[in-house]
Amino acid sequence: MDYLDFIDAVQALADGVLFGATYALLGIGFTLIFGVMHKINLSYAAASIGAAYASLLILGNVKAPPPLVFALAALAGGFIGAGVYLLCFKFIPLANPLATLMSTVGMLLLIDEIVVHVTDGVPLSYPALFSDVIIRTGAFNLRGDLMFVFALGCVCMVVLLALLYRTRLGLATRAVSQEPTAAQLCGIGLDRVNSLTFVITGVLGGIAGAMIGAAIGVLSPLLSLPLTVKGLIVTVIGGLGSIPGAIIAGLLVGGLENVFQFFRGVSERDLYIMLLLFIFLVFRPGGLFASAAGRD
Amino acid sequence: MDFYLGLAQIIGVHTLLGLSAYCVLLTGQVSLAQAGFFAIGAYVAGMLTVLAQWPLIPALLVAAIVAGAIACAVGFPALRVKGLMLVVATTAFGEAVRLFFFNFNYQLERGELRIGPHGGEGFRQIRYFPENGWSTFDVVVFIWIVVALTMAALWWMDRSRAGAVLRAVGEDELAAQSSGLNLTAVKVSAMTVGGVIAGIGGGIFAHYTTHIEHVQFGVVLATFAIAYPILGGLSNVFGTLIAVVFIQGLLIEGLRFMGDWRNLLFGGLILLAMNLRPRGLLDAPALAELKRRLVRRKDRARA
Repeated sequence: MDYLDFIDAVQALADGVLFGATYALLGIGFTLIFGVMHKINLSYAAASIGAAYASLLILGNVKAPPPLVFALAALAGGFIGAGVYLLCFKFIPLANPLATLMSTVGMLLLIDEIVVHVTDGVPLSYPALFSDVIIRTGAFNLRGDLMFVFALGCVCMVVLLALLYRTRLGLATRAVSQEPTAAQLCGIGLDRVNSLTFVITGVLGGIAGAMIGAAIGVLSPLLSLPLTVKGLIVTVIGGLGSIPGAIIAGLLVGGLENVFQFFRGVSERDLYIMLLLFIFLVFRPGGLFASAAGRD
Repeated sequence: MDFYLGLAQIIGVHTLLGLSAYCVLLTGQVSLAQAGFFAIGAYVAGMLTVLAQWPLIPALLVAAIVAGAIACAVGFPALRVKGLMLVVATTAFGEAVRLFFFNFNYQLERGELRIGPHGGEGFRQIRYFPENGWSTFDVVVFIWIVVALTMAALWWMDRSRAGAVLRAVGEDELAAQSSGLNLTAVKVSAMTVGGVIAGIGGGIFAHYTTHIEHVQFGVVLATFAIAYPILGGLSNVFGTLIAVVFIQGLLIEGLRFMGDWRNLLFGGLILLAMNLRPRGLLDAPALAELKRRLVRRKDRARA
């Protein structure tokens, strides 16, 4: 491999890591819901894309500045999150994991179809910030829009960690995730904490959806299934219920994905990500950061 | 008429797919790899009849054995984890199989045609049925004989010790382990049986559609596979059949007159069904009620 190839490979890695911030946010959403409710919410990635769509549709033909669009996406994400909790979890007995799994699948299909129905299946272009800025460092270029996406992702993660570890709501959330019965006996309303978790992850998902739209440039309902798979892979590699794990795994998957794409082409790219997942499952089934008991 | 025969074929094959997921679900594990085993069965059976010119039944048997063996091999590492981890591991396996066939190229020259799987274009010209003069009706009868045999075998298994063992593991792993059951062995055998059934289903699927390609075996098919038994209820094999008829017959074909709105209703109705009947359409209380009514009618007839 000569020098130029090497530079291209490093460039691919850097771009991938920057895009990986979106995977990290999706992974955090899956992991947080799993940590609090011990349930899988398969509709999460679809809801994120749906929130990004909603931000475009609410504005209609008005040409709004991108920050407003992102804020609307976050808001819509929160509402969709509350809706998902209401429709898929609230009325279904939690002792029956299969039922909630299936209801979130139904939700995933429903959100996708609503998006297709409203937009006639035509991909919509999504605004980006700083897309004309390119930072040159030596032989490498860093795209401004990807840098922005990465920075926004980092801010979200810091805010989320502060929320979880510095506020009463975060304390309640962590208490419920450790021992729901004991938390309830201490006067924490399970229903309230659960629904708030869904709202918070929904807001995160809305931002992630907006970031994905900004990084790729278009939104399409076809994105939701691959993103679901990627988000789940990130969750497992990072370790279930571990937020730092999800962040690192998201960046790792994003970076490696782009490197594999550079060397082996787009059709084989995901195959190697699956292999990576299997390596983790065999040699480190708890993921990067999971506690020893976190294998459920 | 041909439309209904085609629908009967789809329902039959999807019942096999649902039953393969049913076996694994009985042990309490959610496997999204069934579409992968289905794909393996489809490609193996198709290649045997087209490239090696085998008759159908041996080809199906080999497809079943290959899919079962791969399911067994995947079961060992995958079943070390459970819950969400297993869902993700099996999803990844299913996707890996799909991507393998997306990149899989093995073509032979036969006359002017090149036959065999051809990467992203898929595998065309699986013409065993038309070449050997099977009519659509024959195919339907063949499919439903296979479905009936599979359902009878699973019904019998449910009645036997094996079914009790599977359900014991599914209800409470800790209790099952304490009473001396080898969890890994039980789960891996359930996975293997599921793989065999999915392999047969896939083999038949390849032959009646005559053209298979990788996109048909994606995550959507895998979710359908687990959707049937979960929607139908796990208390017996007929739940799966009812759910397949409900989804394929009613939701997909029956609502066609609604045009665009059908797809919207599809997800919504699954949500509604899960909210109203979280243990499936044909759950244990419903089954008991059904049995009570049948018995009462018999009593009345006697009196």
